[in-house]
Amino acid sequence: MPILSPKSWSLAIKLSLTITAVVAAVGFMIGAVIVAQDWKRFQDELGAKALLLSEFVAITTPKAMLRKDYWQLYLSLKNMASRRSDTTGGHEVITAMILDAEGKVMAHLHPAENKMDLPFSPGNRIEEELFQQAMSTRSTIVLSSGGFSKRGFQEGVVPIFSDQKYMGVVRVRLSVAQLYEKAKDSAMIVLALVFCFVIIGSGLGTIVSRRMVRPLTAVTQGLEAVGRGEMTDFTPIPINERDEIGHLSVTFNQIMAELAEKKMLEEEIAMSEKLVALGRITAGVAHEVNNPLAGLLNCIDTLRKHPDDKKLINRYLPVIDQGLHRIKDIVHSLLVGLKIEESHETMSIQHIDKLHDLIKAEVGERNIDIIWENRTNKDLYIPGKIEQIVCNLLKNAVDILPQGGKVVFCMHQKGPQLVIEVSDNGPGIPSNIRNQLFDPFFTTKTNGTGLGLWVVYRLVQSMEGIIEVMSDEGQGTTFHVSVPVITMKAA
Amino acid sequence: MRLICLLLLFWVYPTFASETEPPIRFGLTAVVLTENLRFLDQWSQYLGQKMDRKIEFVLRKSYQDVMDLLDSGGIEFAWICGYPYVQTRKPESLQLLTVPIYRGAPRYHSYIIVHRNSTHQHLSDLKGKVFAFSDPDSNSGFLYPLTLMMDQGEKPETFFRQTFFTFNHAETVQAVSEQVADGGAVDSYIWEYLAIFRSDITEKTRIIKTSPSFGFPPIVSRIGVNDTTVSLMKSTLENMDEDSAGKELLERLKLDGFGHFSDSLFNEIRTMAYKTHRADPIYSMLPTD
Repeated sequence: MPILSPKSWSLAIKLSLTITAVVAAVGFMIGAVIVAQDWKRFQDELGAKALLLSEFVAITTPKAMLRKDYWQLYLSLKNMASRRSDTTGGHEVITAMILDAEGKVMAHLHPAENKMDLPFSPGNRIEEELFQQAMSTRSTIVLSSGGFSKRGFQEGVVPIFSDQKYMGVVRVRLSVAQLYEKAKDSAMIVLALVFCFVIIGSGLGTIVSRRMVRPLTAVTQGLEAVGRGEMTDFTPIPINERDEIGHLSVTFNQIMAELAEKKMLEEEIAMSEKLVALGRITAGVAHEVNNPLAGLLNCIDTLRKHPDDKKLINRYLPVIDQGLHRIKDIVHSLLVGLKIEESHETMSIQHIDKLHDLIKAEVGERNIDIIWENRTNKDLYIPGKIEQIVCNLLKNAVDILPQGGKVVFCMHQKGPQLVIEVSDNGPGIPSNIRNQLFDPFFTTKTNGTGLGLWVVYRLVQSMEGIIEVMSDEGQGTTFHVSVPVITMKAA
Repeated sequence: MRLICLLLLFWVYPTFASETEPPIRFGLTAVVLTENLRFLDQWSQYLGQKMDRKIEFVLRKSYQDVMDLLDSGGIEFAWICGYPYVQTRKPESLQLLTVPIYRGAPRYHSYIIVHRNSTHQHLSDLKGKVFAFSDPDSNSGFLYPLTLMMDQGEKPETFFRQTFFTFNHAETVQAVSEQVADGGAVDSYIWEYLAIFRSDITEKTRIIKTSPSFGFPPIVSRIGVNDTTVSLMKSTLENMDEDSAGKELLERLKLDGFGHFSDSLFNEIRTMAYKTHRADPIYSMLPTD
């Protein structure tokens, strides 16, 4: 599922999500700090209120304690608790008690569970600790349940003194339930605000990221067009800003414009090169055909003047025949080359080995050593064009070699490529003519047509292969051809 | 013309007299009546109209305070309990004026009450518990339970773990209902009164003992108040059941009326007071504030 993998998400989504996440994180952190501070402030205020209530009770207590007026003590707690809405701001008095110096209950807001004149019994370990703190203090303190809980409390503890004698303690405990609701409400408001910020932040993030990513998308599309070679119909990226992305867009637009110009120039050059090549072929054909034609016309003219001269007929007919054959060879070579170039036929690679015998026949009585090395898979099927390539390269090598020369033919497979190497130890190719090797009608042989290597070059190109020539004068020449293999077996 | 002047004089005189004569002061404690100020205003207005004198109710916390006011001449009349009434004073400072009639007789009871959910059935079950008394000078709220203790050879301070005075029968009921005290002694008249108007409190209590009947807390006059005023007050109170306004006030008090009864009505209380005083004189000298 590529859509689930963040690596496949677009930059616009990633950027807007990142901005949203950052805004949310910052918002929640600030919100949490505000809520925590609010909660602490509320707690402190409640603690102060609890202390105030305890002090209020403690003021009226000493006399009633001395008289053991339990009822009056109880009423003072009861009245304080029942007037809570005025004095505590509506906070519920969870419990309140007056304990004597020994920890006995003098009065308790819940008398049923806390019998008077009996030692106060804390319900659990936490209550025991609070009780110990309350009994040990000789100054007013606030005890707190701590934590963020609805069942928490703040307790005001006020020791009672009469004539500097410690008599006991007043404890008033206020519930934080109302504060909890208040804090929860303010937390909800903060949460809602944060949520709004997140929505606004993500909206802004989307706008910003889209604005930032749009030129990058255009650059990407432009580069893809370059990859496909379509540079001329590229629409320039609109420049709205002068920032880094603006500069990038400007630079990219310039590069694309230059590439388009270059492409146009290249197309023009290619066109003119085609025209030049066509001109050269036309001139070559005209020249090669024209030369024998002049001799032929002379012969025919002479024979017309001396129609009965047998001697002359016997002498000129072979010349005319030879001249016409030469013209035929030239046209044939041109036609064969172009015909094979268009062919998509395949053949078994074993066909190549037949050329070994053909070339040996070509050598005839000459003392030329031919070394044949075919290291390819015998099941391999190759384009038929390769036979013509190998034949032409071998003929060239054999033609140029003197007595005692050596031709090495080597063919092997390298990955998906079929590699053919034809080497000779002949005189080599002079460096000044290497550039013209593959030109049509360029030849160094007296009776050559100059079309052999031109045909080889055209065939290699038609298969999207590579042909390289390595030659040292006096050392020999190696033609290296590499073409893609078609298949292992013919269809 | 002379007749008109005479009529005018008669008409002006009472008004003049009522404005210049000092008000008649009537002492009350919260022990007997709940502190319903609106009712007291209406009653004082009623009595003032009937007697043609301004009547002022003087409220005090305890019977002792009211008795002190009587002794010092601070009030002319008072509604006190039978127990302070029977106590011996030298010289005697008060006399019986009239006695409220409650449910057909000038008598009431003392109730020993516990919390509804408690298991206590007898006073003896309250040993080692907390007990609420009403007023040290209250018959139903102190003298009667004290006598019960003594009959069993016990003393409140050793029998109970702790005791306290509420100085208000209604608050004694409250103390028991809220379990501040495990038991309490209250005036039957107040408990029944509360059962009508504050049943939420009385429903949480249970009567475990009802005393024999005693003379209802009487209204007394200070010796020295002129006879006309005394007799006017007596007749006014005793005739309250004869007019609608008076009847309405009596209905509010849940009383049938006021009547003349002899001092012997309080003999049971007198006997108990004598018994306890002989057993321990301290019980007639308890500080109340």
